[in-house]
Amino acid sequence: MYSLENEHETFKVDTRRRLLLLGGLFAGGAVIIGGQLFHLQVMNGGEYRDLAEDNRISLQPVPALRGRILDRHGRILVENSPDFQLAIIPELTGDIKTLLKRMQPYLALPPDKIEKILRQVERQRSFLPLMVQSHLTWAQVNQIESRIHTFPGATIQVQTTRSYPNGDTAAHLLGYLGEVNDKDIFQFQGINFRSGDIVGKTGMERMFELELRGKEGFREMEVNAVGRHIRELKRQPARPGNDLRLSIDVELQAEAERALQGLSGSTVCLDPNNGEVLAMVSQPSYDPNQFIRGFSNDEWKKLVTDPKRPLINKAIQGQYPPGSTFKMVVALAALREGKISAHTRHYCSGSVVRDNHTFYCWKSGGHGNLDLVAALEQSCDVFFYKVSESLGIDAIARQAKSLGLGETTGIGLEGERPGLMPSRAWKKATFGHAWYPGETLITAIGQGAVLATPLQLASMVAAIANGGRIFRPTFVTSPENQPPTPIHATTIQPAHLDLIRKGMIAVLNGRSGTARQYKPEKILAAGKTGTSQVVKHKREKSGKLIKEDNARFKDHALFVAYAPIDNPRLALSVVVEHGGHGASAAAPIAKRIFDFFFDKYGIAES
Amino acid sequence: MNIPADDRTFRHLGGNGPGWRDRLSRFPTSLLVLLSLLTLGGFVVLYSAVGGGENIDYVWRQSARFGFGAILMLVIAMAGSEKVYRRYAYLFYGLSLSLLVGVFLSGTIGMGARRWLEIGVLNLQPSELMKVALVLALARYFHDRSVSSGLGPADLVIPLLMIALPTALIVKQPDLGTSILLCAVGMSVIVAAGLEWKLFIGIIILLGASLPMGWNMMHDYQRRRILTLFSPEKDPLGAGYHIIQSKIAIGSGGLFGKGFMAGSQSQLNFLPERHTDFIFSVLAEEWGFVGGLLLLIVYCMIILRTLIIATTAADRFGLLTVVGLTTLFAFQVLVNMGMVIGLLPVVGIPLPMISYGGSSMLTLMIAMGLVAHVGVHSKQHGRTI
Repeated sequence: MYSLENEHETFKVDTRRRLLLLGGLFAGGAVIIGGQLFHLQVMNGGEYRDLAEDNRISLQPVPALRGRILDRHGRILVENSPDFQLAIIPELTGDIKTLLKRMQPYLALPPDKIEKILRQVERQRSFLPLMVQSHLTWAQVNQIESRIHTFPGATIQVQTTRSYPNGDTAAHLLGYLGEVNDKDIFQFQGINFRSGDIVGKTGMERMFELELRGKEGFREMEVNAVGRHIRELKRQPARPGNDLRLSIDVELQAEAERALQGLSGSTVCLDPNNGEVLAMVSQPSYDPNQFIRGFSNDEWKKLVTDPKRPLINKAIQGQYPPGSTFKMVVALAALREGKISAHTRHYCSGSVVRDNHTFYCWKSGGHGNLDLVAALEQSCDVFFYKVSESLGIDAIARQAKSLGLGETTGIGLEGERPGLMPSRAWKKATFGHAWYPGETLITAIGQGAVLATPLQLASMVAAIANGGRIFRPTFVTSPENQPPTPIHATTIQPAHLDLIRKGMIAVLNGRSGTARQYKPEKILAAGKTGTSQVVKHKREKSGKLIKEDNARFKDHALFVAYAPIDNPRLALSVVVEHGGHGASAAAPIAKRIFDFFFDKYGIAES
Repeated sequence: MNIPADDRTFRHLGGNGPGWRDRLSRFPTSLLVLLSLLTLGGFVVLYSAVGGGENIDYVWRQSARFGFGAILMLVIAMAGSEKVYRRYAYLFYGLSLSLLVGVFLSGTIGMGARRWLEIGVLNLQPSELMKVALVLALARYFHDRSVSSGLGPADLVIPLLMIALPTALIVKQPDLGTSILLCAVGMSVIVAAGLEWKLFIGIIILLGASLPMGWNMMHDYQRRRILTLFSPEKDPLGAGYHIIQSKIAIGSGGLFGKGFMAGSQSQLNFLPERHTDFIFSVLAEEWGFVGGLLLLIVYCMIILRTLIIATTAADRFGLLTVVGLTTLFAFQVLVNMGMVIGLLPVVGIPLPMISYGGSSMLTLMIAMGLVAHVGVHSKQHGRTI
């Protein structure tokens, strides 16, 4: 018989246990959860707090304004200018494709660019502005701005970009900017780069990167999970970079560039009293603004494959046999070693024969009997062949080194080349051969292995001009009352220097001077021509030169000079690649520079 | 319907039982107080979770639901006869099951998850009804069978079918969380009804063995959620995102929390679904270990209170009903907390009384009303605690 009471009793006893089991299971679950909470919050709370902070705060960089670059008179070489960019905020724009189509008359975007933008829309948060086109012209800005209300979501943003108001003037010197790469990160270890950062790649922009750069500021933004900014927590303003005042005289620079216009070559103008660079030209040049705007494929290809190598700064990277401009070095070495004196004379018949080999003078008929001054004036090769024989290559090399040849000047520009001053040890180390006596003769007239950069030549002639002091060439003007210190003072006796100078003065002012047609108008200058062989000249049996018509095989024309002769204020070197003779191709350029400089500043002491 | 003889002595709804004053005096007020406490605390967290200010509407809506739920609980608890729910248990179950079939049929047309049935203006979620209906039907089934020794395999065929049918339909919706919940609730009733221990262990083993099959039946995203649980870092912006961000929120709360409205994780949108399934993360971030523990304690008190009611139940139906409904409540607490603190896979189960949403809260208040009903009609005369 079914009994309610009975059933209750049996069921009660068993059920109590079962209820306890369920209660125990719940309690067990609660303990596990409590334990995990303790583990997360109490044991590891700090760690998770850090993670939460990382989540919450986004550092937004505030770019620092890059310092301007000025010339020695405060004229602007590089500045920052506003760059107008069109951006769209996709979440405010309805159909982006339609918007772009409607704006197309004002933008003229190529189809692949439009594709790229549309792809970008997919990938980017829709509240972030998406850059459509930068470097808008004023006309574009005006056209778009006046219709902006009809383009939903479109905004014109202003950013600062680097601009070079003088175009290609001093382009190599100033350098250009580019996106940071591994090499930059390694080189500027003090800077915290972020990917996409802009950094000086060449020239002043690179050399003075640390000064120009300033310090980036930041805004600490509180962000939500999708990166939308909620509010600003903290702000650290950017410290703008310092303006950089260069020793360059932009007008002299421009004049020197005009003088070399259309040619391939270089000129360096130094103040011989302190090593300050007044002008440094490398032609052909390029417009650094192009690096900001960007190149088309064709433009870039043209720039890179141009045989005149416009991207190379020939003033520091071009290495040329110095030709006859090297004769001063040989003369100084011989004077120092006592191998010659002011009265030493050598006879030039047009050639000398050594070891069954004929060494020619540039003047087939010979110069006859001449002393050092005359040999410099007329650039007699035989005189220096004979002088070098008794001197030996190592004595020449020592003298060259003390005048700064064969090693970098330390000017600090990226990519400076050292040139080459051969010696016995160098020959042995490089080729494993002994030095042949004939090589000394070749070297004595600046041919063969010896190489110099235009900057080294300018520095060398500056030392001759200033009494033998080698300054490290610099782009920065030194403070007025602080005399510049030479990196080394060569121990050249004043009497020896006087002889060299006399020869150099005669080059421009003597009756037989090789550059007498190109003496500057208002001042007396001293100089030395040089012609350096690109390929070994072919000669007929008679010794007559065979003319090479191909421009690529034409000799480099060189000229070094300083002026005025009694109180030198300008020392320079000119190299015209494949220009032919130093006198006819390089000396006129020097004349033009001297004329411009002394016309402008007079001859009074600075 | 064949009504047993002893039932006939009561008149339908409120017949011979205790008078309504008496019943009211025996209403487990402490249960309602604990639930109110929980819900009020939940409002504070919800207010913060939705960002406060203009979104205070969320709190108003939620409090309206609670108010309605509290009245529902009282009415259900006070309903006249102790046998009224037992009588309609199968009917209620059948109705819920047919609604689920309705969802299933209309669901085959639509894409993706379909859990709702639109009947006129009413948006009904039959799976919610089924939670309660299953408990009542199982309780009725075991009530009707006297068991002196343990339940054998033959006694389980019908109950297991009663669980399996709605579970299968809900898995198809797909709503993994609710299906697991149904199984757990059903099992708890079976265990309480007197399942043989040997059989109990056998079923556990069987369930374990069928896991691979269940795995195969799962949707890709469900599998991903489970895999993600073990290595959330592998997919930090995808499936692992919830767990990672939730753990960061909870962990960064520390001992005392970051303070009301000051949880950076929750205030700044790093937490998804933070006002519904992940609301506990907000609480734990802003109120810390202390807050989380306090919540856990309140839940335990509620569960303890309901289990005490179970011991005083006047009949088997009452007892099993309370066990099933308590499991319903407790399981949701454990699973929700377990998933937001990274112990269990993320399945869509709300935190009782705290998560924003009407269905869950109303279902639970109905369940608590039924629990209270058992208390009101307990065999012990005099106040329950």
